[in-house]
Amino acid sequence: MDTRYIRNFSIVAHIDHGKSTLADRMLELTGTITSRDAKEQLLDDMDIERERGITIKASAVTMHYRYNGQTYMLNLIDTPGHVDFHYEVSRALAACEGALLVVDASQGVEAQTVANAYLAVETGVEIMGVINKIDLPAAQPEVVAEEMEHVLGIRRKECFRISAKTGAGVKDLLDAICELLPGPEDRSAETTKALVFDSHADQYRGVVCYVRVFSGKLRVRQKIRLMHSGRSYLVTELGQFRPAMVPVEELGTGEVGYIVANIRNLADVTIGDTVTDDANPADAPLKSYQPPMQMVFSDFYPGDNTEYSKLRAAFEKLALNDASFSFSPQNSPALGFGFRCGFLGLLHMEIIQERLERENDLDIVQTAPTVTYEVVMSDGRVKRIESPSELPDRTLIRELREPFVRLEIITSTESIGGIMKLAEARRCKLIKTDYLNPTRVMMEYKGPLAEIVYDFYDQIKGISRGYATMDYELTGFEATHLVKIDILVNGQPVDALSIIVHRDHAEQRGRKLVTKLKKSIPRHQFEIPLQVAIGGKIIARETVKAFRKDVTAKLYGGDVTRKMKVLKKQKEGKKRMKSIGSVQIPQKAFMSVLDTSD
Amino acid sequence: MGTYSEPLRTQSLGLYVHVPLCDGKCRYCGFYSEPAANHDLDRLVSALISELDRYPADTPVQTVYLGGGSPTSLPVGSLARLLEAVASRWPGAREFTVECNPGQTDARILTVLRRFGVNRLSFGVQSFHAQELLLLGRRHTADDAVSAIRLAQESGFENIGLDLIFAIPGSTPDAWHQNLHRAVALNVQHISAYSLTVEPGTPLLQAVQAGELDAIDEDTDRAMYEMAIDCLASAGFVQYEISNFAREGFACLHNQGYWDNRSYIGIGPSASSYDGGSRTTNIADIRQYVRRIEAGQSPADESERLNDEDRVCQTAVLNLRTRKGVDLAAFQATTGADFAEVFASPLERHRRLGLLEIEGGRVRLAREALGIADSVLCDFSSF
Ligand SMILES: Nc1nc2c(ncn2[C@@H]2O[C@H](COP(=O)(O)OP(=O)(O)OP(=O)(O)O)[C@@H](O)[C@H]2O)c(=O)[nH]1
Ligand code: SF4
Ligand SMILES: [Mg+2]
Repeated sequence: MDTRYIRNFSIVAHIDHGKSTLADRMLELTGTITSRDAKEQLLDDMDIERERGITIKASAVTMHYRYNGQTYMLNLIDTPGHVDFHYEVSRALAACEGALLVVDASQGVEAQTVANAYLAVETGVEIMGVINKIDLPAAQPEVVAEEMEHVLGIRRKECFRISAKTGAGVKDLLDAICELLPGPEDRSAETTKALVFDSHADQYRGVVCYVRVFSGKLRVRQKIRLMHSGRSYLVTELGQFRPAMVPVEELGTGEVGYIVANIRNLADVTIGDTVTDDANPADAPLKSYQPPMQMVFSDFYPGDNTEYSKLRAAFEKLALNDASFSFSPQNSPALGFGFRCGFLGLLHMEIIQERLERENDLDIVQTAPTVTYEVVMSDGRVKRIESPSELPDRTLIRELREPFVRLEIITSTESIGGIMKLAEARRCKLIKTDYLNPTRVMMEYKGPLAEIVYDFYDQIKGISRGYATMDYELTGFEATHLVKIDILVNGQPVDALSIIVHRDHAEQRGRKLVTKLKKSIPRHQFEIPLQVAIGGKIIARETVKAFRKDVTAKLYGGDVTRKMKVLKKQKEGKKRMKSIGSVQIPQKAFMSVLDTSD
Repeated sequence: MGTYSEPLRTQSLGLYVHVPLCDGKCRYCGFYSEPAANHDLDRLVSALISELDRYPADTPVQTVYLGGGSPTSLPVGSLARLLEAVASRWPGAREFTVECNPGQTDARILTVLRRFGVNRLSFGVQSFHAQELLLLGRRHTADDAVSAIRLAQESGFENIGLDLIFAIPGSTPDAWHQNLHRAVALNVQHISAYSLTVEPGTPLLQAVQAGELDAIDEDTDRAMYEMAIDCLASAGFVQYEISNFAREGFACLHNQGYWDNRSYIGIGPSASSYDGGSRTTNIADIRQYVRRIEAGQSPADESERLNDEDRVCQTAVLNLRTRKGVDLAAFQATTGADFAEVFASPLERHRRLGLLEIEGGRVRLAREALGIADSVLCDFSSF
């Protein structure tokens, strides 16, 4: 296809501002789907996306649209808005020339709007401002346009005002995409170079690579090479997403589609790799992305020790479709065999955990998530640890570093005080504040990831009555005064309950932790002492009292059926608990160590 | 009528006849019973007898238990008819128990009971303290109980049991101690001591929830239980089940059958039967029960077929309630399962905690475990 008539664009926005709904309208207006096939947020096709009403994975779709007597090929990539999935947005943008930056007319510019706008600018794509949801009674398109001009430098007059729900303004937007967005550069005469921006494993076809062709073309039966891995494959199928996979004979410069080439293992494909012609390879690959950065780590153990291999199989299956989490075998003295897993953020972690359990009928006991730490050993070696239990003995450590982030919070002016107080308690330093308008402010902080990755967002939501949004970006590791808090249950240290905290907060956190733990460990047949130790010194203790009475007074013939049910339920209740010695520790106890609320 | 078509082939059987009648409702009672005044009692008794008729005469009934409700709520004539029906069918039953309400047990009733071979009485005494009886909503006094039991003894009954309830809101260890002593002093052969269970849907629960009554705390409840065990032991009562104590040779054979998980036949509204393969429960409604029986239909309301795991687990849980515990050889013989093997992990866990004792081919709850038995037994409720 003539590159002058191709438009590749991503839709990016803060979570819930209407990206997927806008994609729905575009699919309809271009006749890509008939109204019979239409359903809301059609591109959100994973179960978990539909249940939660959010986009997790970017999806591409090819549409055709008549404008000014010409048929244009529009390749749209719908992206997720949640902060955990930022890297999906960067990948999508790298495959495009343009981005629609969507802003909810009733909410205005929010933290992920800003973050996504920066990403678009960095990638060098053309940005079109789109103010959505103008049908809402609370819509304030002019105020929002003003914000977009002020914060993002998008001229207010150039913002499109649409309703993705009613379809108002969407046709004009499509016209403008054809009119205003640049087409791909015409490099059809050069050798093949295509960027792999995503992939998924298909039961029958093997790995399906999502590609954007930057030069030359791809043909069925072409021998291709993945430049990063150096491996060659024969293309057995090429196609486009419409949105179902529709085979085509070739994909030309500027086009977006998929390759099937008998690739069995998802691990053989690196997202960001360049596909070239095996016989006539390109000199240099396209610019690749940074691999996604895992922000939090947590250990997953099977609730029942005998299910370790089942858990492994479950991870392997899931990894086929999500290359952004990691898992490696782990053996905890207290909890036995399990896996250390890395995630992009807490939502990502929650989703993986839910899918593992649901799709594999497994009970998982999971330790509290933690960030990565850098340990400078006394001999100068630097080592990374992904669990407090890996922290070497204090005497061997010269310095301990933790990850820091640049944090951006957008909130209402009334909540500034509350948020500043919280941020300070969480060791965050204010870098600057910027008023979006007289009632809304954007605050930039620098602070430790560990202080903001767990409950910080919930806290600022609470303080601002749902108003505040935040985004963060890793900046690097810095030395701070950190100490490890150890927990002894029934006299036995439980590595999986240890946490690393700042020295100044350690005693207070330790005391809070043990009261939380006391509440979340059910009473047993015996007393359970809980102790908190910092640097080998016990600083607090609590006792989970034994229950004194748990017996059915009467059990005669007529009571058997009912009583057996009750007993079975009582036994079931012990599931999703991990035995440590003779103590059963429930899932919530592992998580309670992070609970800083009063 | 599927449940009746297969003859029961078990060696010995228990027969339970349920008389779901009471002269009023106790405030803690979660059983199915109705006021006697509302029903045609002759018709009910006829229905009970025709349900008995559905079992062949050679059914090997070893023990009979007539319970309720209060069987003594029946008019003497009707009661006699029912007793006669049972006694004439199974004259050889070794134990024939009737539950007696202290307020209803007079000389006439006792005479009838003796005439038809009843050889064991169980009195629902519950407490000797007036305020406790009031709180429980019992409609008899402590004196009623004392004189009914004396009268029964004078009438020649030599196997008498009584029920007591402890941990009644407002009660104290002292008050409980007195109850135990008064019970022992009556020279009965059997005492059941039940910790009060506040059942859902009872006025007692409402009162507790409304804050009108303070439930006894766990520690006191446990202390009262321990007191019962010690106090009754020193008076010569042997504990043979979690809540049951008897003088040597006077354990209730019928109830022992339940804990051995032997088969039993249940007759009457809401009664359960177990034939070794299924548990069946009759409909809990007098009118519907009578109608079904008269129409020649099955009175069964629910039936649960047990698989191997159910049978093994039920036997384990029931056996473990008794002080003799699980006889490993007998367990293997009746269930086909090796107890030590199928329950290896809970067995080991609770043994290590000192809650189970393994000795002489038997496994039983340690004394320490009696008050928290469910926390042990639940691990034997499934594989
Ligand atoms: N009233 C109104 N509601 C809209 C409009 N566009 C989207 N919505 C609603 O906003 C909610 C979020 O829409 P989505 O399309 O899922 O938003 P999204 O940006 O794709 O969300 P994520 O993918 O989770 O980041 C849904 O309930 C939509 O129905 C609009 O123009 N008007
Ligand atoms: S006498 Fe027994 S069955 Fe009747 S109401 Fe009282 S406790 Fe319930
Ligand atoms: Mg979406």
